[in-house]
Order: sequence, then C-alpha cells, then structure tokens
Amino acid sequence: MLDIFVSIIVAGLTTGALYALATVGLSLVWGSMGMLNMAHAAMLTLGGYVAFTASTSLGLPIGLGFLAAIVAGAVAGGLLYVLIVSNLLRHDKSTFESNVMIATVGIGIALENAILLTYGGQPLKQPLSVSGALVIGPVTLPYQNILIVAVVLVLMAIVALLLGKTRMGRAIRATAQNRDAAQLLGVAVNRVYFQVLVLSGALAGVCGVMVSSMTQLSPPLGNDPMLKAFIMCVVAGLGNLPGAITAAFGLALLEAFVQFVAGARWGFPSLLFVVIAVLIWRPSGLFGRAQIRRM
Amino acid sequence: MMNRRAMLQGVLGAGAAGGTLLSDLNSQARAAEDTPIPVGSALPMSGLAAADGIEFKNGLTLAAEEINAAGGILGRPIELHIEDTKEMGADLVTQAMQRLIDRHSTPVIINGYNLGTNMAEMDVAADNDVIMMHYNTLISHNEKFKTDPDRYYGSFQGDPPEYWYGPGCLNFLKNLADTGQWKAPNKKIAIIPSANEYSIVIANAIRDKAKEYGFEVSLFETVPFPTNQWGPTLAKLRQDPPAAILVTHFLPQDLAQFMVQFLQQPTNSLVYMQYGPSLPAFREIGGANINGVLYSTVIGCLPDDYAKPFREAYRAKFGPTAAYLTGSQTYDGLWMWAIAAALAGGPGEPFNKEQVAKVAAAMRRNVYRGVNGTYRADPAGQSAYCYPTQVADPSLGMPHQFLQHQDYKTDAKLVAPALYATDSFVLPPWIK
Repeated sequence: MLDIFVSIIVAGLTTGALYALATVGLSLVWGSMGMLNMAHAAMLTLGGYVAFTASTSLGLPIGLGFLAAIVAGAVAGGLLYVLIVSNLLRHDKSTFESNVMIATVGIGIALENAILLTYGGQPLKQPLSVSGALVIGPVTLPYQNILIVAVVLVLMAIVALLLGKTRMGRAIRATAQNRDAAQLLGVAVNRVYFQVLVLSGALAGVCGVMVSSMTQLSPPLGNDPMLKAFIMCVVAGLGNLPGAITAAFGLALLEAFVQFVAGARWGFPSLLFVVIAVLIWRPSGLFGRAQIRRM
Repeated sequence: MMNRRAMLQGVLGAGAAGGTLLSDLNSQARAAEDTPIPVGSALPMSGLAAADGIEFKNGLTLAAEEINAAGGILGRPIELHIEDTKEMGADLVTQAMQRLIDRHSTPVIINGYNLGTNMAEMDVAADNDVIMMHYNTLISHNEKFKTDPDRYYGSFQGDPPEYWYGPGCLNFLKNLADTGQWKAPNKKIAIIPSANEYSIVIANAIRDKAKEYGFEVSLFETVPFPTNQWGPTLAKLRQDPPAAILVTHFLPQDLAQFMVQFLQQPTNSLVYMQYGPSLPAFREIGGANINGVLYSTVIGCLPDDYAKPFREAYRAKFGPTAAYLTGSQTYDGLWMWAIAAALAGGPGEPFNKEQVAKVAAAMRRNVYRGVNGTYRADPAGQSAYCYPTQVADPSLGMPHQFLQHQDYKTDAKLVAPALYATDSFVLPPWIK
C-alpha cells in the first residue's frame, strides 16, 4: 500500500512542480503588469523545441541545450515587449489589458503554427530527459520526476531571491503594487515591464523543457500547462507568487488523489470545481489582495 | 473496345491493377474537357491531430500524382484542395467541407479522421450531393446511414467501424491463451479508454463481450483526452494486477508515456493498445520501453509485397520518418474513388445527384484491394467489412491487423490474422 500511496504523491508533486513553473511565469506578468500573456503557452513550447534542436541538430551537450531554452524564452519575452507591449502601452492605458490579451492570442497562434511548419506535427522525444528510477524498498522514485521537482525548487528559490533581495526585484514589486507611485518615485516602469517579460520568458523556456521531458514535444505542448497555470493564478489570487506556488502543488496533489479515488476523468473537473468555489467565496483568490478599480 | 464484363473483371480483379485499369479506361475515354477535377479534403492540419492530418494530406498527394501520371480521370487531372479543421468538432469540420464545396465545387471530399463531429460530415455530403469518404472509424457512421440510406448515399467509411476492435481483441487474447502462447495469470482484464467516442465504443464493446470470451473486467478507467500523466491510473493497476491491460486511448505520444511510466514498476500483464503504436512517434518517444506492446488496427498499410512500392514511394517523397500507415488510408480512398468516378463516366459536381449517385453505386459495387487490404462496402452501413471477426473471407474484408513491437528499432511485426502474419507472438520482456 505504501508504494501505491508514494506513487500518487510522486505523480502529484511532479505535476505540481510543472504547474508551479508555468504559474510563476504567468503570475509574474499578470500581477506586475496586469497583462494576461496568452502567448505564454507558445513561449513554453518554443523553449522545448529550442532545447531539442540544440541537443539533436546542433549536437550541443545537454546543459547547453537547457541554457539555449532559457535564452530563447528570454529573447521571446524581450521581443514581445519591444514589438508589441511597448507599442500598446503608448496608447490608451485603460484598454491595455484587453488589447494586450488579444494581441498575445495572435502572437501565440502565429508562434505555434510557425513551430508546426518548422518541425512538423509528429510528436518528438525530448532528448533532455533521464531514465531509470531510485528504488527504496517497495517505493520507486523515477529520476526524471526527482529531477523536475529539484529543478523547479531551485528555480523558485532563485526567483524568490531575485524578487526579494535585488534592486530589480524591488522595482518589480513596487510596480506591481502601484504603478503610478513607483513611476513617481523614479522607477523606470517600462524597463521593469521589459525585465518581467524576459524573466517570464526564461521561466517558460525551462518549463517547456521540463514538461516535454515528461511528455513529448508537439506544437500544442504549452496549452495544457497554460490552462492549468491560469487556474492556479485564479485560485491563488493575482500577483501572489508564494500563493501561486502553494496553489500549484496543492491542486496537483488534489488532482492526483481525485484521479486515484474517483477516477482519472474527474481530475480536471475537480480543479474547475475549486476555481468556481474560490470565485464564489473568495473572489480575489485564496492568497490574493482585493483590487479596487476606479471607473 | 473493352466490354462491360471485361472491364468489371478488371476492377474486381484487383487493386494491383488500379493504375493499369485507370489507364485503360482513360485510353478509351472521350473526355469532353481536360479541366482539373477538384478533390477536397478537410483535415486537421494544425492542432492536436496535426501529425495525422499531415500524413493524410501526404497520402492524397501521392495518390493524386499517380492518378494524374496514369492520365487522370477520363483524361482530367486531379487537383487537391485542403481545408484545415484545426481542433476539429462538428462546427469546424462542416464549415471546412462547405468551404471546399462553395469555393472549389469539389464533387468528392476525402477526409482522414476528424474527432467530435457526431458524423455531421454526412449531412454536408447529403445536402450538397457530393461523395464523402472518411476514416473516422465509427459505428455511428453506420447507425446514421441506416436512418436514411437514400439521403446518405454518398457517404462512405473507408475502414470497418471501431466496434470490431472489441470482439477482435478478445478473440486474439483468447487465441493466445488457447494455443499456449501466453499463460494468463488470472482472468482479469483492465480496460482504459479516454474520453472520446472512438475509444469509449471500443472499450464498451470489450467490456460487454468479455464474459463470452472468458474474461472478467477488473478495472474500467476512463482517462482525459489527451492524457500523459498516468500515475494514479498505474497505481490502480498495480493495486490489482490484471492478466491484460487494454488501453483504447489512441494518441501515440500518450501511449508511449504510459509504457515509460508502466515499466517503472511493471505488473505481470500483457499490454494491448489502440492504433497509436502504429505511428513512428510511439517508437521514438517510448524507445526500448515499447518492446512487447501489442496493438491492432482495422486499417493500416500491410507489410506485404503488394504495398511495398507504396511504402517506398511514400518514404522517398515525404522522408524516412513519414507515417505511411496513416497516409495509406487516404491514398487508398482517393484511388478507390477515382476508379469509381471513371467507371461512372465522370465525377459529376455538387448538386448533380444523378451523376454523383452513379459514382456512389460504383463504389458500393467494386471490391478494391488497396495497400490496406480489401475494401468492400457493407450495404447495411456503407463501411468496410472487417476480417476475420465480421467476415470469414479475407478477399471480402479489411484485415484486423494485430501487431507487436518486438524491437523498437524496427517496424512492428504482424502476428495476426494468420493469413497475413509475418511473425509469431513473443512474450513481452517484463512478464516473468
């Protein structure tokens, strides 16, 4: 029985780690800029494919392939700011949130189809994965799952340090709390936006590699993590990174247990049920702060 | 001048003669015009089924080139028009088909498969009087056809319905046990469908017939579509290990992940899967983990000499990893329709019911031996007959092929039906 219990916990934690990684990237941008980046899924896919290309076509070592995914994600985030977001910010800021959402839907579709045209539709194996498992008595822990959880925990720690201890992090947090006040106090808000999108893109790149190492590479790779990340953001509340991470792990464990007890098909509906319940009883999320809008 | 009897003998005689037959017909044809004949196809060229959509297009492209090289249909070349059905579903697929008819006046639409359509394609074909051939592999095609055969005269399913997977699979397992090729540790079978019509119908057919074949269903677990996190489902299987695990979900990447995760703690069970293992992605993603996996398909390019030129031409044209098993479906579909259209004196055009009905009649009458085996339309449902579960004569039914991956570096081995088998079943490496 212990092995069954542990295998469910392992499945939940691994999925939770992947959800957390996708959620942090999305939540960072959403919380600090009020921008729901609908191209996040495609950026995630891009990271997975870049790592694949670096490791197979270019023959680079696995570490460099991983680095290439981070760089590609960061560059994609930077380009998204330079080409789209900065231009939208110049116009009426009251419509920025809806405009940028629509614009990034378009970018996401274009990027996904560009990947489809470049690599074809057949699923591919992500070479950046490890096989084998750690066997402790009746318990089996796959190395790939251990690696994913470890990488995600390290990245979460780095992001937390970046936001909590650096000048850039303080600027991001200040902008997230009150954009106008931060600007009046000398924070270069546009630069903060650029930095946030670059950071979010880099995280998406890593997430793409991790997700594809557990599944496979295919053009719609990022759609499912994006959907789940959106759910986590809503449950946790806007702009609350520790809350988002907690929600990601908590809901993934809940999903795994529901799948075991009630059946695999009830996993996703259980997440939706939680979202609905949270929206009814705590509209600003479990860990979010109430938002006041002046019309 | 070829008489009718000789001509029909040529058609019934064989697909091998497909190109020759068409050339003969063309040499005698007095084509009123040589304008191209538009042939439509509504395929998932993007979205989750894009991999298969691309292969379906490849199959059509190759067939069109060969038909045109043979002189076209009564001297008229074929011109392909493809519409993307994206994430599929009744709305997107019917809109795509209607665009093909409205923009290009296609007298025929040859699709691969489209998911979640509720067979609405048949209504588009009926409303516009065009031929529609598809490979959805659904019993609902037959059921819908039966409701109004006159209305749905132009709708053909190019393969047997998925229902036949159920009894076929149970029969295969029973035969393995009866012949001593496999010693089942118990009578339990676990059935794992995903949440889509194709998968559920097969799973239900297995469940409903299990007792007749001496099996007991210990687990019936429906997973989301698509799915790649198998942890909780595998935990259930390990809790009560069955003699055989029958996964009727069909996406190759998900099935490969199942094997990767299953082999971390395997149970003493045979693993049978649906369709997906026939695609290159399954081998590529699963690697050595897939050795021993059984799967079956009611349609797929046979590994015989007859299909060899097709297999070679396909990979030469579309690359060494191209999935000819998928492309072969629309390839046969286009050839079959082209011969029927030539026999009928031309393909007709939308709303020309008189001529299109002649083409449909020829498709019902002909027995076509393609690279996937034999197509003969079951008049009750206008789908292909299934051999050996539905008909005992292999020349009158499409073979339900059972294959096993014995070495992931090579193509899977055909282990049943015996008439077509190239290799014998071997016990999977994880069974002790």
